Amino acid sequence: MSRIAFRLAVNGEVREVFAEPRKLLSDVLREDLRLTGTHVGCEHGVCGACTVLVDGKPSRACLIFAIQMQGREITTVEGLTPDEGLSPLQQALHEEHGLQCGFCTPGIITTFEAYLRENPDPSEDEIREVLAGNLCRCTGYGNIVRGVKKAARMLRDGAAQ
Amino acid sequence: MKPAKFEYHAPETLDEALILAAQYGDDARIIAGGQSLVPMMNLRLAQPDHIIDINHIEGLSYIRPDSGSIEIGAVTRHHQIEYSSELMQLCPPLPMAARNIGHYALRERGTIGGSLALADPAAELPLMAMLLDAGIVAQSAAGKRTIPARDFFISVFTTSLEPGEIVAAIRFRALAHREGWGFRWLARRSGDYAVVNAAATLMLDGAGKVGRIAMALGGVGSTPIRLASLEQSASGLAPAGGWAGEIAAEAAAQVEPESDKHASAVYRKELIEVLLCQALEDALARAQRQSAA
Amino acid sequence: MSGIKAEDTKRSDFDQIGKPILRKEDVRLLRGKGVYVDDIEVPGALHACFVRSPHAHARISGFDLDEAKAMPGVIAIVTGHEINGWTNGLKLAPPIEGLQPTEMTTLPVDKVRFHGDPVACVVATDRYVAEDAAELVLVDYDVLEAVTSYDSALADGAPLVDETLSSNLVSHQKFEAGDIARRKQEAHRIVEASFAMQRMTHLPIETRGCIAVWDDGRQHLTMHIGSQAPHPMRSALAGRLRLGEQQVTIASPDVGGAFGQKIIVYREEITVAALARHLKRPVRWREDRIENLSASLQARENTVHTCAAVAADGRILSLEAEILEDFGAYCFYPANYLARVIGMILTGPYRIQDYAFEVKIALTNKCGAGPMRAPMAITSLVMDGTLDAVARELNLDPAEVRRVNMLRPSDLPYTMPTGERLEDVTPSECFERGLREVDYAAFRKRQTEDRGRKVYRGIGICNVVESTTYGSAFYKAAGIPGSGHEAAWVKIEPSGAIRASAGLMGTGQSYETPFAQAVAEGLGVDVAQVDILLGNTDIAPYGMGARGSRGATAGGGTLFLTALDLKAKMLDIAAALLGLNSASELNVKGGKVLRHVGGEWAETGLGIGDIARTAYLDPLKLPEGMQPGLEMHRAWDPPQMTYSNSAHFCEVTLSPATGEIAIDRYLIIEDCGTVLNPLVVAGQQQGATVLGIGGVLFEHMIYDESGQNLCGTLADYLIPTATEAPEIEIIGQHTPNKRTPAGIKGMAEGGVMGAIGAVNNAVNDALRPFGVIADRQPLSPDYIRRLLRQKV
Repeated sequence: MSRIAFRLAVNGEVREVFAEPRKLLSDVLREDLRLTGTHVGCEHGVCGACTVLVDGKPSRACLIFAIQMQGREITTVEGLTPDEGLSPLQQALHEEHGLQCGFCTPGIITTFEAYLRENPDPSEDEIREVLAGNLCRCTGYGNIVRGVKKAARMLRDGAAQ
Repeated sequence: MKPAKFEYHAPETLDEALILAAQYGDDARIIAGGQSLVPMMNLRLAQPDHIIDINHIEGLSYIRPDSGSIEIGAVTRHHQIEYSSELMQLCPPLPMAARNIGHYALRERGTIGGSLALADPAAELPLMAMLLDAGIVAQSAAGKRTIPARDFFISVFTTSLEPGEIVAAIRFRALAHREGWGFRWLARRSGDYAVVNAAATLMLDGAGKVGRIAMALGGVGSTPIRLASLEQSASGLAPAGGWAGEIAAEAAAQVEPESDKHASAVYRKELIEVLLCQALEDALARAQRQSAA
Repeated sequence: MSGIKAEDTKRSDFDQIGKPILRKEDVRLLRGKGVYVDDIEVPGALHACFVRSPHAHARISGFDLDEAKAMPGVIAIVTGHEINGWTNGLKLAPPIEGLQPTEMTTLPVDKVRFHGDPVACVVATDRYVAEDAAELVLVDYDVLEAVTSYDSALADGAPLVDETLSSNLVSHQKFEAGDIARRKQEAHRIVEASFAMQRMTHLPIETRGCIAVWDDGRQHLTMHIGSQAPHPMRSALAGRLRLGEQQVTIASPDVGGAFGQKIIVYREEITVAALARHLKRPVRWREDRIENLSASLQARENTVHTCAAVAADGRILSLEAEILEDFGAYCFYPANYLARVIGMILTGPYRIQDYAFEVKIALTNKCGAGPMRAPMAITSLVMDGTLDAVARELNLDPAEVRRVNMLRPSDLPYTMPTGERLEDVTPSECFERGLREVDYAAFRKRQTEDRGRKVYRGIGICNVVESTTYGSAFYKAAGIPGSGHEAAWVKIEPSGAIRASAGLMGTGQSYETPFAQAVAEGLGVDVAQVDILLGNTDIAPYGMGARGSRGATAGGGTLFLTALDLKAKMLDIAAALLGLNSASELNVKGGKVLRHVGGEWAETGLGIGDIARTAYLDPLKLPEGMQPGLEMHRAWDPPQMTYSNSAHFCEVTLSPATGEIAIDRYLIIEDCGTVLNPLVVAGQQQGATVLGIGGVLFEHMIYDESGQNLCGTLADYLIPTATEAPEIEIIGQHTPNKRTPAGIKGMAEGGVMGAIGAVNNAVNDALRPFGVIADRQPLSPDYIRRLLRQKV
């Protein structure tokens, strides 16, 4: 099927797309919308680097055809970043040295932005269980876990004020 | 790895979807969660000419208790099943099974209909469908039928769905109040498909002997299997001493799994013995707790 | 070493070095603003996609490209017939005895040698179309018998992988030192042990890729590519494309991990660059994950057999090692390169002078092998595993056997039988500290009690001496062409802005921050003021790249020295401005020039901004004869080798019924020299260790008997996730290297070496009551059950 014009709501903006139905959401975000923060690591849904939020829920962008997303709200790492500075989760990962090459990082940010809303006070085991859906080859995961725990605390403290 | 071209259809009603499915038959694939279909398409192992996207159809995602059974819509996401308070009350093996499917992001999109239609022999929900004698409601332009689980799973990635049929819902029985259950598995890493999994339900009769019992295994054949003859011989047993180990040893002796790069046949047999024994002991413990309550 | 003042290496009162400064690169990476090669937009770029062999070994008898070429959107399809005419092949013929020279063309035309071997390249308007066309490319193959193991490759009558060689034995070397025959006669016992490591692959989360932009007007190629070693890559790429070095720029953007897989330029990148030049249009390529798993670079399929002559107290009198490797089908690296390092440092931190090794490398019909983080990873497994075998055989405690053989401080500096010189290392201190920290005696007591309750725990020890940096003298001694020096420049702009560069490129090792610390330390400024530029061959000086854990020593060290040079010039200028005869009383701190007067440091009112302004804009004020400007270039050759060391301790629980292993505790005592940034070093140690754990327990690149790769997806090739990775406890007791700037040593591969040994040894310790030994990896539950089953 040749290209179709459709609209996507991404990071609060409506964007026009002109693409084949088979074009993956990961590719549309990166190439057509120039939001290159979402990374591609495997294209079979295992590594988690391409994780974005669809209506606030984490989903693998490499396993979605962009055309399926009409009427949905997509949030990428760019949409979870303040205009200035870093979000609490980003700041916490920074302080805990929770990233090295940074390639898996955006997928972790989207995943935990959603998860910490669902579970604001997770145990280390719970964090590791969720983080198991994001492969990292650099850090060994320990610092990422510490970063998420710190972010959870920062968000709870922020909410308490 | 990019998928091959296809025609995309996004019907808004089930009837529209069924007409499309009838029209395109084997040339079409249904996409719900896409968590198993899209990887295969990206790898070009699947190259359907038509994709029928059923995500926009209202009324396919629900969890509906109904006197002794629960009907779950095919497009209900694993995450919804995992957190369903009704299921935790009425059929707790299901949320437990759903919790173990892949990872968080996968569970937010993957669906029960998709999991059953995929028919992976090691998958959690097909295992539970076999264990609980689920009825798979299949709809087509020609009508509707309910396929018992034992007739639904034919072989690896193969079901008895006819061309033009779509899984619309799945009916599970609710567990009886004093019915215990157990679910054990071994996977290489958290979120991976199990190498072998085992599940059981168990009720004690008035004399404290094994009454109603069901046992199912996954990862040991081309489909998940029920251990029907063992269930018969286990009925009436006193659940004491090494009862669970003996049944599990017998299951391991009877079942003939295959070897593949993930695990050898003899290892799978050993796992049957370990995991089924544990699942039976869990089921007994729960049955006893619920009887006492 | 020339140029280093003694005081610079002995200092421990650093201002910027040693601080746990948060990383400069984090902000852009966290915000999703990192720029990796696939993120770079090049208008008009075409997309390449490779057609690859489905067979492990086959003659190519013909191509039919017509249907594929006719597809709309396809711009060109080429095979080796075109590409090989536009490029030079790769010839590896280092003058090393026993190493057969090998050659490869850019793309194969006569036969394919492994499942995934690239045979054609499709260029189209986008990747989707290119893949559509690739499916239509028809290749006629005559399938040949494949060899898929070391043994079958060397069996009589085995088909030849490389038909220019007389057999598949591509490399064979021997070494002997001391009098092994005599030691064996004197020995109380001869102990033999075997260690088989499986084939693995690097698996960076970012696969390979490149964008080749050919400027036909300037006849210049800009290659955007994630590269650990931009300058060597530039030289190689220019040579292959028959261009002058000055006609090629390598521009490395952010890189999503490499671990050794992004050092050399491969056939795909050469093909893409040649196509860009031929088509006079930019061409880009992104390797997909199947390609990365099956057809980029693999590693580690080594087997080592040891034979130790031992005294009654466990002392090793002599050690022989037979090192065998299944190297795959193509030599992207000289076939002996890594087995050579294994043989060279095998004796590790132990006192062994009578030592022999024999290295045999075979070609097989699998993907070619190359260095993967800690290419010598098997050494610690083999050495400490052999000590454990000695302990088992003589019924001695494994820790005691290590103690008896361990180099003590009084033994250092120690020259290994291979000529490697160990100095400024502290293996026995780290080992003894670790034994105290884990309370070894208490563990053994608990272990015995647990066994009584049928709970099977094990403790594994692995003492690592990690070769890092590799100065030029190493290459000379090894007969390998190449240099180990590094180059840097440091510039202060007229406004006082500071920039620095070195010839390495980071792929996740956080270079930007510790390098800035090294420069800041040398200049006397704050880290925040220093910008580090890496990765562009037009900007960075010619250096040897990031490999062999040389970043801190070679990169950091050279930058530190260069900064010291620049500080010296700044102080000479300051002296002139202040009307002083010499700069001997002056120093820079916090960007300000201070003068030591009356026993105290006082501000002079000058800052580096003033110095810079003078240097660039008011040069008549400079000292007589001094050139204007404020920049320094320097190169530095590190010592032949610098060593880090660590002691790894791992506690596991074994479930005999299922074969599962749980890691209960993992502790490392490390000496990494002067640490530039402790956060970075801890992160590297954790990452390396978990990568090693993945290797022991999970990873396995499996080929079937016909040479089909069975691990094309991440569901098949398993690496640890957050639930399998244990918490890594690290205790540092660092001592400086006396021959490097600031006492820096390299690190970041020792974690892999230690984990592969410590976990393996812990599992064997847990298996002790069952009388079985795991001698191959991965230690999958299926394998452990297979061992246990045999004994029942």
